[in-house]
Amino acid sequence: MLIHMMVRFFQLRAWLLLLLGCMGIFLSDAVKAAESESFSNPAVTARLISAEDGIAPDAASVSLGLALEYGEGWKGYWRTPGEVGLAPEIDWSGSTNLKSAELLWPAPKRFEAFGIENFGYSGRVVLPIRARLEDAGHPLELRARVSLLTCSTVCVPHDFELSLALPQGFGIDTNSARQIANYADRVPAVPENSDIMISVTALDARDSALIVVATSDTPFGEVDVFPEFGPLVTFGKPDIRLDRDRTELWAQIPINAWTEEHAEPSVTITDTARAITAPITLTSDPPAPPFSSANPRASVLKVMAVAAIAFLGGLILNVMPCVLPVLSIKLTSVLKATGQTRQMTRNGFLFSALGVLTFVWALAAALVFLQWIGVSVGWGIQFQNPVFVTLMFMVIAVFAANLLGAFEITLPAALQDRLGASSARAGYISDFGTGLLAAILATPCSAPFLGTAITFALAGTPLDVMVIFTALGLGLALPYLVIAARPELVTRMPRPGRWMLLVRILLGGLLLATAAWLLFVLVGVAGARVAAFISALTAVFIIAASIPRANRWARRAVLSACVLLAIFGAGLISTPDRTIAAVDAMSHWQDFDPLRIARYVSEGETVFVDVTADWCLTCKANKSLVLDKDPVRARLRGGSVIAMQADWTKPDDAIARFLERHDRYGIPFNIVFGPGAPSGIALPEILTPQAVLGALDAASMRSLVSE
Amino acid sequence: MDSKKRSTLLTIGVIIAGYAALRTVPSLLPEKLELQALDRPEGFRKFVAGETSGGFDPFFGLGTADSTEVAAQKAAALERVSENICSALYGGLTPTPTQVPMASFSDYYCPFCRVQTKRLADMTSEMPDKIAVAWHELPLLGDSSNLAAKAALAAKRQDAYVAFHERLMTTPFQASPEYLARLSDDIGVDSKKLITDMGSAEITRELEDSAALARVFAFVGTPALVIGRTVVQGQISDRTVREIIELEREEGWRDVGTAA
Repeated sequence: MLIHMMVRFFQLRAWLLLLLGCMGIFLSDAVKAAESESFSNPAVTARLISAEDGIAPDAASVSLGLALEYGEGWKGYWRTPGEVGLAPEIDWSGSTNLKSAELLWPAPKRFEAFGIENFGYSGRVVLPIRARLEDAGHPLELRARVSLLTCSTVCVPHDFELSLALPQGFGIDTNSARQIANYADRVPAVPENSDIMISVTALDARDSALIVVATSDTPFGEVDVFPEFGPLVTFGKPDIRLDRDRTELWAQIPINAWTEEHAEPSVTITDTARAITAPITLTSDPPAPPFSSANPRASVLKVMAVAAIAFLGGLILNVMPCVLPVLSIKLTSVLKATGQTRQMTRNGFLFSALGVLTFVWALAAALVFLQWIGVSVGWGIQFQNPVFVTLMFMVIAVFAANLLGAFEITLPAALQDRLGASSARAGYISDFGTGLLAAILATPCSAPFLGTAITFALAGTPLDVMVIFTALGLGLALPYLVIAARPELVTRMPRPGRWMLLVRILLGGLLLATAAWLLFVLVGVAGARVAAFISALTAVFIIAASIPRANRWARRAVLSACVLLAIFGAGLISTPDRTIAAVDAMSHWQDFDPLRIARYVSEGETVFVDVTADWCLTCKANKSLVLDKDPVRARLRGGSVIAMQADWTKPDDAIARFLERHDRYGIPFNIVFGPGAPSGIALPEILTPQAVLGALDAASMRSLVSE
Repeated sequence: MDSKKRSTLLTIGVIIAGYAALRTVPSLLPEKLELQALDRPEGFRKFVAGETSGGFDPFFGLGTADSTEVAAQKAAALERVSENICSALYGGLTPTPTQVPMASFSDYYCPFCRVQTKRLADMTSEMPDKIAVAWHELPLLGDSSNLAAKAALAAKRQDAYVAFHERLMTTPFQASPEYLARLSDDIGVDSKKLITDMGSAEITRELEDSAALARVFAFVGTPALVIGRTVVQGQISDRTVREIIELEREEGWRDVGTAA
């Protein structure tokens, strides 16, 4: 009996459980009723979801969401899709009891493909919808006709209908509500509800970029800036900079297409987990970039380590072809000076070292100032200035003429008397000048190690810049300092004699070669006409200086006229002239186009980029010793590598930005991109065939695998 | 315990590595010229690029809820192009025996089309003896696409298709009369004629033909290409395009077309 009862009891329980189970299924069906059937294909799965299971009495609004799940590799678009693309659209006609439906847009991500900027979503996203009812508390029937565009390697438009009925009733679909709330949180806030404040929005001086400045009490993390000016205005990739505390943001967004008849502009700033959208008014005063980069403060140890590298780099600069001729000037002056006291020799070399340091300090101060006012600076860019190159050419040409015996640089009689009487004070001025010249001429030779040090300095604080440049100067001045410490080294040099004439001619020849190089640079910077004009003026200058017994005042007038004409001539009539480049039209080098690099790499190509300039002697050495020699030349020409050359002889913003992006401020700069190294393998300043081939192999790894 | 932990870690590591290899290795391999013969249209074959092979409604935007009149027009267009697919695809071209004809289908609002049309144009000027391209407008992305396509075809009537194309590919399009007038001035065409032509039956017919061709080839989106008798959906690398061109040249694309 008992057993029978127990069996009955368990049977009953089983029935009960079954019943509950069925109810559970029913209940879960009721829960699922808060979402529409889904539209699905490989690109996207879409559903309409609702936070409420039913319309409560007196409820005037409902929280809805368009839940989208993009397939792998597919993406969809934000309300402003970017350069091209289409934002999702929902047509609600056919719905009943719907007064309005407002689509909210969670903060987008930036997609960049082949230089085209797009904003949107990938993976999962829910677009929250704020719906208002015609009649509060009455059932809602939704018919949403959705059009959206998805792109992977093909752009597929979708046009589908989703329907959802919400009867009268209570209850929250917690799952849907959570999803909607989650994504509603990612919808950019209004400025009042955020500590991000946009302080300035202005067009830059050339109307080619939008500048946005914003501040935030909480430090910025991963920031992006999306301006919206309506469908006809499009922007490129922003240059975003943060200050050291990461609480101030400066962004420059290049304008790709512009019209005055734009919609009411707004700017959205997205940060790691927060975002704002604020309406903006353009002001006419664009603020300059305040920060060079968002690098954190470097430790003292690191600064010292980099200073050591800079010292070594400076020392090596002495044997670079640009500085060697200047050492030669110094050498001849020592050889000529007979009977100098130990003290005089020591002082002379100390003054030369001081000359080197003075230039380096002046350069550092100028760089700090330029950084402070927001100019992008680089090592050696003064060689992009025609006036500077002109002056350098004239100075070197006159020195060469002097060494080759065209004339003697004589000091005024009064000074000569004093010279004879006391110490060689005027001689010290020339010693100082020698050091100065050596340092000036060293700048276009970015020696090994120097690139790293200068890059570090230019990205650091003013103090970092000073420390590192001083170390660089000390390295460069080391030969002078060594002789200053042991002046007797000079006495070990051979006694004066006829052989000195030979040395003089040899060194004069070296200087003449330097002058020829500078003239070549001038042709690139200012044009062949200017170079011819400057050479003529320099010739007149040298002839005027070498005519014996000419009227002193007439000579001075001619010399000054030559210098003034040269300076103004170079500044005013310089015209870009690239006839030299045209000669190479048939070469394997392509013009530099940074936007194409990503495209080529995505196609499996390997790209070799060579940033060079006429004034960069190290670049020339790299070219003739490595790049234009087999096996590297054969590899670059073979068709498996795309070789791009960026000519920085004259200022070029795109090249400067490219260098800056790779944390370089000077050239030569060579970098290899490829499937194996999409963000590039930077090569050392001085190339070796092994380094180039190794980088090419590593970058093209994927294509090697495929072969 | 330790060795157990180690082996667990090892297993997890192997699984992760295996997964990573599975995910990355196929993408590291080159795109192979995997070609699949098509039943319809006969004589053509499809380049199988992978992802976009199935699951889409291939007739999107090609008229599902049209009025009877529009549906009839579309049916007529379908019949028209089906009669001689090759002449519909490459009608405007007179390729030399060494040239492979190519038909490009694009939309101004599709990001990849910008890139692909530019690259195809570059490729054509690079090897004019090997390829000739017929440009088809396939505006699938709404009204703006449609207007841009019509304007491009109208510009073609004044021999300014390439200039117009280049201009559109760098700026967004707006079809207001002022914008079109300014654009016409910029590219040196008669704006009145451009606007009149945009509404012409001839251009409507050309767009209908392109849409019908897209339907014949079951294109699900843009960009799309037909190189000789090889059908390609989506953006592919220059290298693959060149490989297909070479293959077509070797095999002689001229054998096709008569079948349809």
